[in-house]
Amino acid sequence: MSKLKRIVIFGMLLVLTIYAKAQQENLIAAQTFLQQGNLDSAKHYIDAAVLNSSTANNAQVWYLKGFIYKTIYNKNEKGNRQSPSRLAALTFFKKSLSIDSSQENTQENIKNIKYLATTLYNDAGASLDSIDYKIAIKNFEIFKEYYLLVDPTPANIRQKDIDFTLAIASLYTRIFESDRKEKTEFLSLSKEAYNKILLLEPNNINANYNMGILYYNQAVNLINQQDYDIDIVALNDIQDNSINLFKESLPFMEKAYSLDPRRRETLLGLSGIYFSLNEFEKSNMFKLKLEEIEKQK
Amino acid sequence: MKKILFILLTFVFFSSYKVVLPDQSEEANAHVKAIYIYNFTKYIEWPQDYKDGNFVVGVMGTNTALLNELTKMASSKTVGSQKIEIQTVLSAVDVPKCNIIYILSDNSAQLADVAGKLKGKSTLIVTDKPGMAKLGSAINFVIFENKQKIELNKANIDKYKLKVASTLVEMAIQIK
Repeated sequence: MSKLKRIVIFGMLLVLTIYAKAQQENLIAAQTFLQQGNLDSAKHYIDAAVLNSSTANNAQVWYLKGFIYKTIYNKNEKGNRQSPSRLAALTFFKKSLSIDSSQENTQENIKNIKYLATTLYNDAGASLDSIDYKIAIKNFEIFKEYYLLVDPTPANIRQKDIDFTLAIASLYTRIFESDRKEKTEFLSLSKEAYNKILLLEPNNINANYNMGILYYNQAVNLINQQDYDIDIVALNDIQDNSINLFKESLPFMEKAYSLDPRRRETLLGLSGIYFSLNEFEKSNMFKLKLEEIEKQK
Repeated sequence: MKKILFILLTFVFFSSYKVVLPDQSEEANAHVKAIYIYNFTKYIEWPQDYKDGNFVVGVMGTNTALLNELTKMASSKTVGSQKIEIQTVLSAVDVPKCNIIYILSDNSAQLADVAGKLKGKSTLIVTDKPGMAKLGSAINFVIFENKQKIELNKANIDKYKLKVASTLVEMAIQIK
C-alpha cells in the first residue's frame, strides 16, 4: 500500500471515529438532559443522534427518542388532545419495535405504545361532543392502528370499535335532534354508524334499539312537522312515507325486544310503532306488558 | 439504558351513549286528525248564519293528545275571518251551536242523541269508530291499510244543509 493510500485510509477512519464519538456523545447528552428534566435539550440531542446512519437503525436509540417525546407529552401536552409529541412518540416506539432484532426493548416499546394508545382512546372518549367529534374520530383511528400492534386479538379491538361507534352514533343522533331541519346529514351518519355496529355484532341491543328509534322518530316527526294547511292528498302521501319508516323501524325494535323483553324503552317503542301503524291491539299488548313490568318494580 | 417505572393507564368507558326515548306516536296520530278537521273547513260550506262569530268545534270524549292538537290548530288557524274555538262537550244535552261536533270513539254511544239534538241545524257530525257513518255521522275516521282515512256519508251531510266539495267526496270512502 502506498504511503498516500495509508494516509487517506487513516484520515477516513479518524473522521468516522470522531463522527461515531459525536453520535455517542449526542446519545449520552440526550439521556443526561432527560434525567435532568431538560426536555428541550434532550430532544435536540436525540433528534441529532438518529440522523446518523450509524445510529439510525439502532432500536435503543429510537426507543430513547420515543421515551423523550412521550415525556414531553406527559409534561407539556397532556391537555392537548391533538398532541404532536404523543403522535411522534408512537411512531418512534413503532420504529424501535420494528428494528429491535435483539428484542432488548420490545417489552418497553409495547408498554409505551399501549400507554400512549390508551391515552388516545380516552381522549377520543372525552372529545365526543358536537364540537370536537372529528378529533375523537381521528384519535380513535390512531388508537386502533397502534393498539393492533401490541394487542392483535381481534375480539379486543372489535369490542372497542363497537363501544366507540355506539358512542359516536349516539352523538350524531343528538346533533341531529338539536336541529332536525339543518343537521340532516347527522341522521345519515348515525344510521351508517349503527349499521356498522350491526355488521360487527348483529345482536347488539343498543344498536338495534337506537336504529329502531331513529326510524321511529323520523316517522313521527314527518307527520308532526306538517302544517294544518296541508292538503289531504299530500297528507295521504306523507302518511305513506311515515308508515314506511315505521315499518323500517319495526324489525330493529323487535330484535331489541327479543334480546331483552323487559326493557322499558323497547316496550314503549313497540307500543308506539304498532299504534302508529294503527294496529291498536298489538300496541295495547306491549303497553300492558310494560305496565306489568313496572308494577313488579 | 435505565428503564423508568411505568404507570398503568386504564381505558375509560365511553359514557356518551344515551338512550333516546320514542317520541309520542299519539301526538302524530292526533296531528293527522287535526289536519283532516282543518281540511273539512275548506271543503265544506256552512250556511251564512254559521259564518258569524267563532267557528266552533265541539269535542265530545277524552283524548288529551287530540284536544291539545285541536287547541294548537285553533290558536294558529282561522276559517276565513272566523277564529276557531274548541269546546269540550260532556253530553248530547250540552251540545252547543257549533260548526263541527267531533264525537270521539269512547263517546260513540251518544251519536244518536247528538244527531237528534242537531236536527234542523247545520253541524257537521264527525265520529271516530267503525260503522258510525252508517249510523248517522257525516264523516267517520277509519283505518285503511294502516292509514288514517275518512268515510263520508253524503246523505248525512245534505241532511244538515251543508255543501261538500266533490274533491272531499272523491278522497273519502263513500258510505251510503
